[in-house]
Amino acid sequence: MNNEIRGAVPGGQGEVMAHAVDACVHCGFCLPACPTYALLGDEMDSPRGRIVLMKEVLEGALPLADASPHLDRCLGCQGCVTACPSGVPYGELITAFRGWSEPQRARSPLDRAKRSAILKILPAPKVFSVAARVGQYTKPLAPLLPAALRAPLDLLPETVPAMQPSPAVTPARGVQRGRVAFLVGCAQQALTPNFNAATLRVLARNGIEVVVPEGQGCCGAAALHTGARDEALTLVRRNLAAFHPGDYDAILSNAAGCGAGLKEYPMVLRGEHDEARARAFAAKVMDISEYLHRLLQAGELEPPLPASRPITVAYHDACHLAHAQGVRAAPRALLRFIPGVTVQEVPEGDLCCGSAGTYNLEQPELASQLGARKAKNILSTAPDLIASGNIGCHTQIQSHVRRAGSRAPVLHTVEVLDRAYRGEL
Amino acid sequence: MGSGKRQASGPTSHSPLVTDLLRRLAPHQVLTSLAERRNYRYDAIQFGETPLAVVLPETTADVVAAVQAARAAGVPVVGRGAASGLSGGAAPTAPGLVISFTRMTGLRIDPARREARAQAGVVTLAVSEAARPHGLIYPPDPASFRTSTIGGNLAENAGGPMCFKYGVTGDYVRALQVVDAAGEVHELTRDAYDLAGLFIGSEGTLGLMTEATLRLVPPPLVTRTLMAHFPEVGECAEAVSQAIAAGAVPSKLEFMDRACTNAVEDYLSLGLPRGAEAVLLVDTDGDDLPTVEEERALVEAACVAAGGTVRRAGTDAEAAALWQARRSVSPALGRIRPQRMNEDIAVPRSALPEVVREIRALGDASPFTVVQFGHIGDGNLHPNILFDPRHDDPHAVHDLAHRIALVALRHGGVLSGEHGIGTMKRDFMRDAVDPVTLGALWSVKRALDPAGLLNPGKVLPEEVKG
Ligand SMILES: Cc1cc2nc3c(=O)[nH]c(=O)nc-3n(C[C@H](O)[C@H](O)[C@H](O)COP(=O)(O)OP(=O)(O)OC[C@H]3O[C@@H](n4cnc5c(N)ncnc54)[C@H](O)[C@@H]3O)c2cc1C
Ligand code: SF4
Ligand code: SF4
Repeated sequence: MNNEIRGAVPGGQGEVMAHAVDACVHCGFCLPACPTYALLGDEMDSPRGRIVLMKEVLEGALPLADASPHLDRCLGCQGCVTACPSGVPYGELITAFRGWSEPQRARSPLDRAKRSAILKILPAPKVFSVAARVGQYTKPLAPLLPAALRAPLDLLPETVPAMQPSPAVTPARGVQRGRVAFLVGCAQQALTPNFNAATLRVLARNGIEVVVPEGQGCCGAAALHTGARDEALTLVRRNLAAFHPGDYDAILSNAAGCGAGLKEYPMVLRGEHDEARARAFAAKVMDISEYLHRLLQAGELEPPLPASRPITVAYHDACHLAHAQGVRAAPRALLRFIPGVTVQEVPEGDLCCGSAGTYNLEQPELASQLGARKAKNILSTAPDLIASGNIGCHTQIQSHVRRAGSRAPVLHTVEVLDRAYRGEL
Repeated sequence: MGSGKRQASGPTSHSPLVTDLLRRLAPHQVLTSLAERRNYRYDAIQFGETPLAVVLPETTADVVAAVQAARAAGVPVVGRGAASGLSGGAAPTAPGLVISFTRMTGLRIDPARREARAQAGVVTLAVSEAARPHGLIYPPDPASFRTSTIGGNLAENAGGPMCFKYGVTGDYVRALQVVDAAGEVHELTRDAYDLAGLFIGSEGTLGLMTEATLRLVPPPLVTRTLMAHFPEVGECAEAVSQAIAAGAVPSKLEFMDRACTNAVEDYLSLGLPRGAEAVLLVDTDGDDLPTVEEERALVEAACVAAGGTVRRAGTDAEAAALWQARRSVSPALGRIRPQRMNEDIAVPRSALPEVVREIRALGDASPFTVVQFGHIGDGNLHPNILFDPRHDDPHAVHDLAHRIALVALRHGGVLSGEHGIGTMKRDFMRDAVDPVTLGALWSVKRALDPAGLLNPGKVLPEEVKG
């Protein structure tokens, strides 16, 4: 699409946005891939529409305030990226745009306070854990609270488990085959500590030493995707200082959102002095399923014990795994590697479950419609177990599947593998 | 083709049109903000004028109300489906009212009558998806079938890969509900005067289509797919002519040239032959396996005789991947140049090799990248001129497009196989249609839309008086 963005926003982020808009031929192939278009059926809430809105705002033809409601409804799920034959990097466009536009937005003091609280609590596991506990006791009061406060409470699981800090080094068991660095993540440590525990056990069992580098912190994705670019840059640089890519075979994440965030570092630092460092870093980043799949392909993954009975697993593609990172085959292959497991494809599998980033908190209504739709689609496969590779999807799916009356366990892919190794599947 | 006017066109919230619309319709059906209106001024090829208001109807009654309001305000009405159109049809040429059908998605299947009753906004693919559990399909399949709407398909009389054997959208319409320029509702069948046929392909210039009764058919029991590639573009066209002359009736016959293959390969990495000048994709189908295999053998022999190399799709998944490749051609071209002028000519099959070669030569002699693909079984070709509006001269692009159109006409072809005339090919109509016939077309237009409110500036060039 013809545009004048380069003139209006000079520099690295302007280049990122101009390039994305250039590439769009407004063919509309992305429309059916977009969850908000599926719900609302209007052009402003479609990928193509949002690209045009961003272009017009950047060029000064449209006030930001007019476009914002529609851009805010974007989940950032990147379903449109997978669907786009022209290769439009929509994810980069919306991220850069949010970073550019956020400082110019007029927000109410309450809104501002809520956003800043979210961004402070999410990346701090200890604070999050306390907040979650407080939230749990507040849950019975939920119906009395305003919608903005009710949404986060709805999402809390029935029980908030105790934190389990990860050791600085987990040695390989048996012959050592590799050495990786591990990003422990934020909210997930508090909500689902077993994700990390299972990850460490599975890696160690397969001869991989796991290091948790000191000084690491939040990947920055939440800040970045909500437009808090300065906060994001601080977090990005902190991780670049903590991880030394040369020391490890890979830098692993077991949360799709965080992994996608780490892979975005070069885009965030486009045109900055540490861009090259970010590239070297991102080149080593892998999702846990990608890494284990490589071992599997090399014939180096220890075969798990067969499931105690035939098990149907509905595998849910997390947007930040499937669309943002293009990882689809690996988790399925790992699940199928377990004797007795059948993997079921979920109808409308490419449509986001509605939990992307902080969407549940900011757009509770749409998020909940999408969650219910996802639960219905998943349950239509009559699964014994539901697997996915992202904490956000996990909480969303768990809450909506329960609401729909199903007790099927919802697990991380690596937890399924871990259970199989322990003979507990 | 530019980005249109920079400012909002006309007043918004207090205009009589908007006040009237809000009186007749629910607030969520009327879009008035600048951000909303700016997003209803383009289709897949062109940006037009910002509308004064946009209506998202849910029922035929809503459409009637919207048309009456526009009529009272004396502003033009543009119908819009998914805006995947490739001739500028849904891009307004003047500020007015856009009626977007995307929320009119009611769909009912009647298996006993082998019919679907679809509202205009139903996505094309959804008809087949709903029909399949009843053992039926809806064959018309434009490459945009995941996005485009039945209303848009009817308005363009869309075709697709299947149309060589199974026909185009218009061949599947049993009845049509139309709202005319006066806001009256008509239920049209194909009896007596085929008025339904008149509205099909009229690109929203004669009336707005609100519902259609569509014919469904049982899918063929077996399908076989093959791909052939050729060292020269004309050879591919020769293979097609020979295969058909030998008696084969493939269900799909699609062609893409080297630039297309490479653009798709960049997107999907399927292992298509990057070095070949032309790739041909063919499906044969039917209920009797030996006949289907025999037909595929006929095509295969014709391809080999014309100098091609043949590869058979081994599995259904492989065949599906090849077809996804073909459907992605058009947008994947965006990877080469940001903008394109999309032709949509159809020529007699016997002339194909010559036409394809002449267009190749025109492209080679020009400063632009010209690529070709299309439903070659029908002689339907899509030569595309790829260009970069920041550096290239729009007049030179238009001129080359005109010369390509003339190649088609010289060989007894037509200007539009399926994408419509819109604004993109309106100027070329005078080359294609004699003045008397053009006059007749204008008479029809005036009879049905005396005030000229329906999608003005599309299809028909102004008459030259005297
Ligand atoms: C990548 C790509 C591939 C394509 N491949 C094909 C192909 O293989 N074959 C093919 O034929 N076309 C193809 N097209 C063109 C386009 O998809 C078709 O013309 C399609 O039928 C348009 O449908 P739409 O819903 O998007 O209509 P729009 O683009 O919204 O509108 C098209 C025209 O129809 C009018 N219109 C829309 N709805 C109504 C209504 N309810 N009543 C009256 N008028 C109405 C509009 O005013 C406009 O003139 C392709 C387009 C793209 C982008
Ligand atoms: S599919 Fe890609 S090129 Fe087409 S409109 Fe969407 S983003 Fe633009
Ligand atoms: S990122 Fe998701 S929600 Fe946003 S435009 Fe793309 S498909 Fe739609």
